[in-house]
Amino acid sequence: MKGPLAKTVILLVGMYVFLKFILPLFTAPLPASLIFLYLALTLASAMIFYTMSGGSLDEFMGPIGRFLTGTGQTGIAGTARILVFVLFPLLVGWQTYTRLAPSDMPPAENRTIHPAPPGEFVGLANPYPRTPENVMMGKGLYAAFCSPCHGANFDGKGPAAVGFNPPPANFSDPGTIAQLQESYLFWRIKKGGVGLPVEAMPWKSAMPRWEVELPDEWIWKIIMGEYDGAGQSPRTWEEEE
Amino acid sequence: MGYKQIFNVLLGLVLIVTAVGASCAFASDPPPEGGAESVAVRLYLTDGSIPANDPNAAAWDALQPAEFKLAPQVHWPDRIQEVTVKSVKVRGMHNGQEMAILLEYADQSEDAADAAAIEFMVGDKMAHFAHGQEMLQVEGGEVNIWYWKKEQGKATDMSAKGFKTLRAQENQNVSATGAWQEGTWRVVFSRPLQTGDEHDVQITPGEWRNVAFAFWDGEIVDGAVKERGSQKAVSSWWYVRAEPPPDNSIYGYVVLGIALAAGFEFFLVRKIRRGNES
Ligand code: HEC
Repeated sequence: MKGPLAKTVILLVGMYVFLKFILPLFTAPLPASLIFLYLALTLASAMIFYTMSGGSLDEFMGPIGRFLTGTGQTGIAGTARILVFVLFPLLVGWQTYTRLAPSDMPPAENRTIHPAPPGEFVGLANPYPRTPENVMMGKGLYAAFCSPCHGANFDGKGPAAVGFNPPPANFSDPGTIAQLQESYLFWRIKKGGVGLPVEAMPWKSAMPRWEVELPDEWIWKIIMGEYDGAGQSPRTWEEEE
Repeated sequence: MGYKQIFNVLLGLVLIVTAVGASCAFASDPPPEGGAESVAVRLYLTDGSIPANDPNAAAWDALQPAEFKLAPQVHWPDRIQEVTVKSVKVRGMHNGQEMAILLEYADQSEDAADAAAIEFMVGDKMAHFAHGQEMLQVEGGEVNIWYWKKEQGKATDMSAKGFKTLRAQENQNVSATGAWQEGTWRVVFSRPLQTGDEHDVQITPGEWRNVAFAFWDGEIVDGAVKERGSQKAVSSWWYVRAEPPPDNSIYGYVVLGIALAAGFEFFLVRKIRRGNES
């Protein structure tokens, strides 16, 4: 076990064990990305130490080699060289600091706002005709059940909207229901926040599971009233293709 | 100079660039959603004792409060459309053993049925903020609720996992004291950070936990208590964290990083020089 390869491997393993297991006995554990950075630096140093024996490195590196060794350098080139040599370790130090500095921000949340609906809700069509009576009835039901959160103006600013994170959807924003099909809304209204998949963080949503209170017929009519009131139209099948 | 050396030098450089690049990418997390209001309660670390039973202790006023808006509970029946408590200021402290959380909110009248509660997720399973209500695609966890009511003059340590499952725990670990003054309630809840009870939230300094709040105005209107049961002011989940002790090891790691980078430069230059001399 005397070859450079074996020595390098031992060095790396030793370094890893030190960073990962021994240091945490005394201080806080190091994040994986920093362990990776330190191992990369160690590996690069070892490779240079063991493999770049003699030879005309100069031929290969040419100006880079002359720059690094400082051969025949004066003036600006010399200053630039020192700058590079000072800045590189400082960059590594700064990286270490920003990775480890205690943060007062809670964990980042990447909530998927429009996750895929369960299969049984894909492509359902509204079984009720868009008659003025149906739209009217839908708007009335919306006012009774939905407006406290989503707002009488469909803008997500109902009296009960504050305090919820995420906030109730703003239906007048072209980024919400105008992007969606009626069948998608049917799913979301029926199953509510608790019906969302894990990537949409169902535990945070205040959207009620309306199937326990409202019949399907009402939900379809509410959808009509919602689009009409918000001045949006549903995304249709043809647009999908 | 052979291809092997060239390869090695390039590999080394590529590795460094990747490593620095990767750690840059990991370092920049997007800010949480939620807007201008607070997103988290900070339990400040103190050395001495904490004012666990004194809502009016001077120590509280030195702390920066978090503030959360509250909504009438319109999520499930029985709903309520208008509530008294519209927002709450939250302060917290811990000393490595004990913790205390102070809730401060406006309520014009002091009534026997006035009540306040703090809810936490328990363990690693996510729980819905509405009493750990059942989720359809995710297996949910339990919630731990600390409930204080004026007329009881104490806290009840409770658990829930779904509607109609709310119950007082066998092990009561929480205490609470309320003081009403000129239209403001100040209620302090306290508990050891760790209790060893699997139904309790366990608070470890440095770790983020989920927290939510609820309030009932117990005023008697037309012979009945105004807000009771599911008719209350609520919030959804926010975060809470007990401040970790200051960690100076970070500077050691910075020095280590600088030393490794300088060592790398040293070997590089030395090798090139040797190569040139021979
Ligand atoms: C307790 C407050 C509340 C009430 C009442 C409520 N919602 Fe919601 N709703 C929310 C919240 C919060 C969201 C955003 C989180 C989510 O997507 O689950 C939402 C989201 C939605 C979405 C998804 C929009 C999108 O872009 O994905 C639809 C559709 C919706 N609500 C319809 C309704 C309808 C219809 C009613 C009445 C029958 C209603 N909501 C009542 C709180 C509420």
